[in-house]
Amino acid sequence: MDLLNAIVLFSNFVVLPGLAYGSQLALGALGVTLVFGILRFANFAHGDMMAFGTMVTILVTWWLQSAGIGLGVLPTALLALPFGIAFAALFALATDRLVYRYYRKVRASPGVFVMASIGVMFIMNGIVRLVIGPEDQRFGDGERFIIRAREFREITGLDEGLAIRTSQALTIVLAIILVAALFWFLQKTKTGTSMRAFSDNANLALLSGIDPERVVRITWLIAAALATIAGALYGLDKSFKPFTYFQLLLPIFAAAIVGGIGQPVGAIVGGYIVAFSEVTITYAYKKLLAYLLPEGLEPDGLMQFLSTDYKFAVSFIILVIVLLVRPTGIFRGKVI
Amino acid sequence: MKKFLLATTFLTGMTGAVLADGHEIKAGVILGFTGPIESLTPAMADSAELAWKEASNSGALLGGKTIVPIRADSTCNDSAAATAAAERLVTSDKVVAIYGADCSGVTTAVANSVGVPNGVVMVSPSATSPALSTIEDNGYFFRTAPSDARQGQVLAEIVKGRGISEVAITFTNNDYGKGLADSFSTAFEGAGGKVLITAAHEDGKADYSAEVGALSASGAKVLVVFGYLDQGGRGIVQASLDSGAFDSFIFADGMIGQSLVDAFGEDLVGSFGTAPGGEGDGAARFLELAKAAGFDGDGPFRPESYDAAALIALAMQAAGSSDRAAIQAKMMEVANAPGEKIMAGEIGKALKILADGGDIDYVGATNVEFNDVGEVFGSYKELEVKGGKFETIKVH
Amino acid sequence: MSAGLSVATVRTLLAYAVMAVLLILVGFGQSWSLALAILNLCLISAVMSLGVNLQWGYAGIFNVGIMGFAALGGVAAVLVSSEPVADAWAAGGADMALAALAALVVCGLLAIVYRRFHKGPLRAIVMSAVIVVGYVAVRLFYDPAVAAIESVNPAKTGYLGGLGLPILVSWLVGGLFAGGAAWVVGKIALGLRADYLAIATLGISEIIVAVLKNEDWLTRGVKNVTGLPRPVPYEIDLQSSPGFIAWVERWHSDALAGLSGETREAALQLMVIDAAGVIVKLSYAGLFATVLVIILTLLVLALKSPWGRMVRAIRDNETAAAAMGKDVTMRHLQIFVLGSAIVGVAGAMLTTLDGQFTPGTYNPLRFTFLIMVMVIVGGSGNNLGAVLGGFLIWFVWIQAEPAGTWLMNLITASMDESNTIRAHLLDSAQHMRVILMGAVLLTVLRFSPGGILPERRETA
Repeated sequence: MDLLNAIVLFSNFVVLPGLAYGSQLALGALGVTLVFGILRFANFAHGDMMAFGTMVTILVTWWLQSAGIGLGVLPTALLALPFGIAFAALFALATDRLVYRYYRKVRASPGVFVMASIGVMFIMNGIVRLVIGPEDQRFGDGERFIIRAREFREITGLDEGLAIRTSQALTIVLAIILVAALFWFLQKTKTGTSMRAFSDNANLALLSGIDPERVVRITWLIAAALATIAGALYGLDKSFKPFTYFQLLLPIFAAAIVGGIGQPVGAIVGGYIVAFSEVTITYAYKKLLAYLLPEGLEPDGLMQFLSTDYKFAVSFIILVIVLLVRPTGIFRGKVI
Repeated sequence: MKKFLLATTFLTGMTGAVLADGHEIKAGVILGFTGPIESLTPAMADSAELAWKEASNSGALLGGKTIVPIRADSTCNDSAAATAAAERLVTSDKVVAIYGADCSGVTTAVANSVGVPNGVVMVSPSATSPALSTIEDNGYFFRTAPSDARQGQVLAEIVKGRGISEVAITFTNNDYGKGLADSFSTAFEGAGGKVLITAAHEDGKADYSAEVGALSASGAKVLVVFGYLDQGGRGIVQASLDSGAFDSFIFADGMIGQSLVDAFGEDLVGSFGTAPGGEGDGAARFLELAKAAGFDGDGPFRPESYDAAALIALAMQAAGSSDRAAIQAKMMEVANAPGEKIMAGEIGKALKILADGGDIDYVGATNVEFNDVGEVFGSYKELEVKGGKFETIKVH
Repeated sequence: MSAGLSVATVRTLLAYAVMAVLLILVGFGQSWSLALAILNLCLISAVMSLGVNLQWGYAGIFNVGIMGFAALGGVAAVLVSSEPVADAWAAGGADMALAALAALVVCGLLAIVYRRFHKGPLRAIVMSAVIVVGYVAVRLFYDPAVAAIESVNPAKTGYLGGLGLPILVSWLVGGLFAGGAAWVVGKIALGLRADYLAIATLGISEIIVAVLKNEDWLTRGVKNVTGLPRPVPYEIDLQSSPGFIAWVERWHSDALAGLSGETREAALQLMVIDAAGVIVKLSYAGLFATVLVIILTLLVLALKSPWGRMVRAIRDNETAAAAMGKDVTMRHLQIFVLGSAIVGVAGAMLTTLDGQFTPGTYNPLRFTFLIMVMVIVGGSGNNLGAVLGGFLIWFVWIQAEPAGTWLMNLITASMDESNTIRAHLLDSAQHMRVILMGAVLLTVLRFSPGGILPERRETA
């Protein structure tokens, strides 16, 4: 019984939140890594692109809700997502046209690209606040839980409860579908292969007749779609606040680099590594050990490696270790 | 050049004073409209401006003058930007008094380098750091939010009195949260209670499951939340309920609000907390006023904001002038006994009493009473979630 | 002097003249006190911008951790100038010293293991073991020390305090702190690709700020340290000093001559208040300007020397410079440390001006990205350009707020009073500031990549 309790406890506080958070990071990191692979710069505006797409999704969701259109147990936001994606994609294409294309033409250094993306970040940041305001917004509806902790306790008779939120399940399922679709696209379609070719060796790809501008456009489309979905899922799971999305940028970057920037598989693995390190390193193991250890051996202290104050720092400590030991990341990214 | 500089300073000062004596009186609103608490400040500013509108609309203010609010951005955490903005309010816009600032850090900076040196009254609705009690303010700094030190003690007594002896604490990682957590822990442990874990949470973060996991692993059954109801504090409550880690909470003022109960409904039944306030229904009246004005008065520091602004208007009426020093001289008088008690929504009535030479004791929405350093040391309401709202149990 | 150079000189003079006119306009239009307040922060921003320009403009190092180094400067101000808290030292000083000693021993052991063992799994295992055991050992002393120190009157102190030295000393110490940290960071992260380095430094600066926020025993954390001593007099002391009042009276004797009685008193009081504010701000401005001039002079001299030429040669063609036997990594490390130290000095200056240390202040938008904008807009690779950028961008950053409100009023003037969109736009005026910054950055980057005062390329 104690063992079962321990497993449920661990799942509830470590595994499940880690999976959902990791999926959200992975989707964000995928966008960053794709842009990096094709356009070869770290897009600092990605967090704000997530916020922008989510903002449009929220506005459309409100409109749908007021029109009485819904999805029953599922959140209405799912219906609004295509609109969010469309607007985010439009915005991304417009910035590419107005900002980044010029620097590609003059073959500017990555530093200049990053600087430009900081400029875009400022502007998106301002626009989002101007339109929807800086406040916390909630837009979730439908059934919130698949199973509640209390219900789980009653059904199983265990001391510990396990809660599964709709948004958590949705996040994990959608992440799997998206990743599968993306990999199918990259591996099996002509456009996808040309993107991979471009990412591996731009000059060679140009020689073989790939239209670079088309590749870039498609990259932005995919990045905007991933950003919007990640942002909306995140907003459904927690809540939407523009400031949060700017801060998400840091763990997302960490995830992309740890996995090996430019490598889609790496982004996914990196997302889960960052999420699980944050959760496991700052979790207090006192209660878990109390279940597992024989009576009388329970620890007095909290058995916490690092206080949650430094949760944020965990992703960067991992980042620094990766930099020291294997700068290309786990899956041999593009950066030397 | 220097002489020229000083001379112009003087001249512009004089013209400003002349303008201020016209039909309109300028008053400053300095809050963090951008930055970490940007989601709290719009409603706070609305609350303050509501009080001024009430005063202006009554037609009784200094014989029919109106107060024009001028907003400036304190950014909540950038002292340099905040002092520059305050400097602009004081020396360029020539405001007669300032409602603000908000976060304790910038408030101290603004008070020290702009408010006090220029002799401008500042009334903060939300700076709760105990350190502000002892700044050299020449009597120009007031606050309608009590110092954290007091609320921590009151809450600790209530918790102990309810027979709870073990708690976990989480606080928003700023001076408000940390200060409350410190004073609560000291008082609670002094009374024989045990704090099993104290963990900070950052506002506006992605995910609070790690914090909640650590808090619950401590074995505590009750969670004390010192945060904001639309920020990390809410995230913590959400994550606690979702994961089944806690179902019983203790809140301080930043968490008390109808939107919290609306969001979590049944799950919060039995949770309790404290907020400044007294007998009487000042807070309820303020809520109605806010509703009539088209915004939600239910949230952190909103009633305090209304009171802060109201006091400024009342002090200038009592002084019979919108002169900066004159306002300062009357602040204590209008806030404290003796005099006729003035509730929220009765600013017009108060202005008339003052105009007729009467005496008032402003109670407002939060039961304002200043101590000798110009901060409220008022009473607290003990609230409990019952029947879908926070109900007042008792006044401490 | 060639014709090209003189054009550049004229451009520089013109740009600075425009800047001066802008500040003077604020003086006349708004107030002199405000103009001086802006000037002081312009000076500090200029110093920061010089440090970043050294890294980005002269060496192409993309440091997005500016915030962290500025924060280290700020903490230096606390540790140097605040009074030591004797009770806290008595309560936890000994344990804290033991914890520090234990940490040193662990570091020493690590170094020995690193040297004695050959590269391989064994070394990794032994080193990990040392780290884990060492961590537990350090925590053994550290945890009770922290608890003891933080429980000493937490509302007022709850930390060890500082050395009680004059705060001016901290400007140097701030530079040392930031430079020291930069050395460690540089050892780890330099030599990475530009944007990779950017992310790494961004992360490290977040860690630095997280430490300053959470280690209350050292910095009081989010409870802030207020009331740091000033290097200049306090306004309220001046206002009550008879000597000062007499001086102001003499100064304004003409203006006061026609007045008498109460009006004279009131006018005089107003003058004294204004004069005190102006004098205090002028004193600060003098101190900051001195630092700016010293650093600027040293930088100009250094960059004209053979060392400076080598630095630029490395930036322009790293491969060629390396092939010629130049130690690229070493130069980069030097530049990184120097530039960060300058930022640290500016950080300490800023904390001095604020009179308080508030770790919550440090956010990347204001302390990292804004400074980058200063360098780019002013002119990367040109010190005078960076200084101008510091002035101009700070000026715009502060004045964008009233300008944004004004703009919003203009846009919404035709709308109905009760229009919700109007109310919403008016409420959001403050956000125009960020959009404006982005637009300025993108425009300069696109149409004038060298900035307002581009680098002067010396021809051979």
